[in-house]
Amino acid sequence: MSIEAQDLDLLANDNRGKHQLEAGFDLLGWDEVTQGSVLASFEGDASDVAHKKSEERTYSNYNSYTATVASWRVIKPVYNRDICIDCQNCWVWCPDTSIISRDKQMLGIDYDHCKGCGICVEVCPTNPKSLLMFGEYSDLGESLADWPEKKKKEEK
Amino acid sequence: MAVKFDLNEREVWDGNYAASQALRQADVDVVVAYPITPSTPIVENYGSYVANGYIDGEFVMVESEHAAMSGCIGASASGGRVSTATSSQGFALMAEVLYQASGMRLPIVLNVVNRALASPLNVRGDHADMYLGRDSGWLQIGAFNAQEAYDLALCAFKIAENPSVRLPMMVHQDGFITSHTAQNVYPLSDEAAINFVGKIQPIDDMLDFSRPVTYGAQTEEDWHFEHKAKQHKAIMDSKPVIDAVLAEFKELTGREYKRVETYDMEDADVAIIGLGTTVETARVAAKNMREKGVKAGVVAIRCFRPFPLEEVREALKNCKAIAVTDRSSPGGAMGAFFNEVSAAMYTSTNRPIITNFIYGLGGRDFSIAEAERIYAEQMAHIEAGHITTDIQQFSGLRGPKLGFFRTERS
Amino acid sequence: MAITSIKNLKEFSTNNDRFEGAHTLCPGCAHSMIVRELMNCTDDNLVLAANTGCLEVSTAVYPYTSWDTSWIHIGFENAATAVTGSEVMHKVRKRKGTLKDNDAPVKFVAFGGDGSTFDIGFQWLSGAMERGHDFTYICLDNENYANTGGQRSSATPIGATTSTAQAGTHSYGKKEKKKDIVSIMAAHGAPYVAQLAPNKWKSMAKGFQKALETEGPCFINTVSACCTEWRFDPKDTIHITDLATDSLMFPVYEIIEGHELNILYRPKNVMPVEEYLNAQGRYRHLFKPENKHVIELIQSDIDKYWDMLQRREEARV
Repeated sequence: MSIEAQDLDLLANDNRGKHQLEAGFDLLGWDEVTQGSVLASFEGDASDVAHKKSEERTYSNYNSYTATVASWRVIKPVYNRDICIDCQNCWVWCPDTSIISRDKQMLGIDYDHCKGCGICVEVCPTNPKSLLMFGEYSDLGESLADWPEKKKKEEK
Repeated sequence: MAVKFDLNEREVWDGNYAASQALRQADVDVVVAYPITPSTPIVENYGSYVANGYIDGEFVMVESEHAAMSGCIGASASGGRVSTATSSQGFALMAEVLYQASGMRLPIVLNVVNRALASPLNVRGDHADMYLGRDSGWLQIGAFNAQEAYDLALCAFKIAENPSVRLPMMVHQDGFITSHTAQNVYPLSDEAAINFVGKIQPIDDMLDFSRPVTYGAQTEEDWHFEHKAKQHKAIMDSKPVIDAVLAEFKELTGREYKRVETYDMEDADVAIIGLGTTVETARVAAKNMREKGVKAGVVAIRCFRPFPLEEVREALKNCKAIAVTDRSSPGGAMGAFFNEVSAAMYTSTNRPIITNFIYGLGGRDFSIAEAERIYAEQMAHIEAGHITTDIQQFSGLRGPKLGFFRTERS
Repeated sequence: MAITSIKNLKEFSTNNDRFEGAHTLCPGCAHSMIVRELMNCTDDNLVLAANTGCLEVSTAVYPYTSWDTSWIHIGFENAATAVTGSEVMHKVRKRKGTLKDNDAPVKFVAFGGDGSTFDIGFQWLSGAMERGHDFTYICLDNENYANTGGQRSSATPIGATTSTAQAGTHSYGKKEKKKDIVSIMAAHGAPYVAQLAPNKWKSMAKGFQKALETEGPCFINTVSACCTEWRFDPKDTIHITDLATDSLMFPVYEIIEGHELNILYRPKNVMPVEEYLNAQGRYRHLFKPENKHVIELIQSDIDKYWDMLQRREEARV
């Protein structure tokens, strides 16, 4: 599996994860905050949002899609495409909308929104797992190189 | 299409019926309500207009006043015209959600038929419920009779829904004295009424799915203050809109309303300033006093919020002694209205004598004779050059005279 | 009604999420799994409301929202009322033709935690159910006030320790049994009531779709394992939920029109409840010898309830 294939910005909007959640964006004055503290999720017409992939949407800066919680992580899931069977367990149970699947294929992880809970690894049914937790600063290539071998049944 | 409701040029309506007719004519889309004396007939009548096809709307009777206002918020955030009514304990139960409605800038019109707050339980009119709402971020306007309850309810929709205002508004009337007293009322035709009120323009409409919106976000110390300041500014800025709507209403009907009403104030030395039905009593007393050679006048706060500080100052600028009447138990302080009028007059060049009368609690009658006595007392203050009585007095109370605080001026 | 395909997970995964990341729910929280699944079950327009609680304080923190659909939060108790206010307004505006898109189908859904559903918002929920509005109420049941630091609610099971029903030298934790919210809601005459669990994703998705498709007020209690207050490792949320459904602590079933009860998940091997309890810190004290009777009581209550469910299912009542 090539590292390039996990270039996940490919499926991201320009403004995904550009704000540090805690830092917020620029603190605005009373004359600039939204009326009634109402937040609009999108810029422009969003009638068809249910039929659009996130990379096709025009998220407003108020949408948490534009924020990142990457700093919450101390460990991160690493994805190994070679073993994955695209079962989508990780997709359905990810609490942070951070498994990127397109056309029934698991593509990788949205590291702007993943909090490193590790559920995706736990629910992965392959042997060895196609997702494993590594240190936040571990290198993708090295992680993949360190991937464990298939476990024999009795070792399980 | 709604069935036509036949109206005479002159009707005999009580305040509740008058308010409910305004709701019908304003083509209110949704009323979410819970009954409470004395405001119940307002929402009952709306329900009967729906049941008989006189209006194309929905009437939802919920399980509490808290739910009534909660439902109004959900409905109002969904882009249509919304109204309800309540009183007293119901108002108190609603209190949490009143703040939510105004914070979300939803133009709901709430008809408040003023009634005392328990304990002890009392169904009669005083202003305790209205005072409870005074920091809630709603506009508050007062009707002193049935005609006004009708007129101001119509005006309230137009004011609240104005895109530069977008704030909820309460229309107050006194329990029983206004709400249950049948009087002559001159209604507009349905067509004239709806033309005046106009169509609501949805803003941040939850049912506009081309622009999904989130209502009720949490704001902590980084954001809350700015939002509340923006809301306060909007309340303050509503004054010219209120004035313009009232002026337009005068054009249409000849009936003139001002945020602060003045009666016989041109040359008045003494004044009673108050709200609600008290105003009409005081006006009669003022006329009687003038016959006795006392230059007496009356100032009425029609618009309680935003508080008309400048207009109060203007109305009282030549006055020497002022009796500020509060129809709500002050709970260990001066009457709230006294404090506000005093603040206005303290920043004027004229620093008149101001005293506070707590009166009429639980529907206790405020008589013409008592109003005259208050005027006479004001004259005594003027002659002495300072307040000769307690600053705060209870008026119309049985038992030993009850009053508090003496002046340090001499 | 445009429901989406839930034939298998691959089909299901082709949906476009409308619940966005970078909300501030705890890592491993089951709330968002449940919410995501609800939103992925349909491509209709949604008006959502939430009571105060973990979900609400974590998904709409100014200046951010994680919601790609209309959403409102008013107070702790009144999401059911808020969303039904919107439902009523939709009815009027549709009739009058004043909606921006008059024909677009809309679904109304309210979320509440167990604190707001079983306790403080109980009256508002009951009122909205009784009035027969066309909406679905989903309780995210994590059996405590997690948002305020883990106090007991009337959904907290007997024997669990919470900050306001503490286990100690003289106490085994909460003394009272959990309120049977599903039965109470079914007794309102709701056309569809269910208890669902996110580990059984398909029955949950089917239940959600049934509720959305059914006209009238529907109620669903969902099991939402809370790693923070139940005290387990965040990665184990699904594992713990498996133990919950397989021990029958949380039976998965539905009640249609108040009388047709269907069990939606029947574990092949029913697990002793001890295994479920032992996996969580909130029950650790029950394994002291003096508290063993509480485990026995919990097991016996589970057995009786399961027996009742099976008999009701068989008798079609």
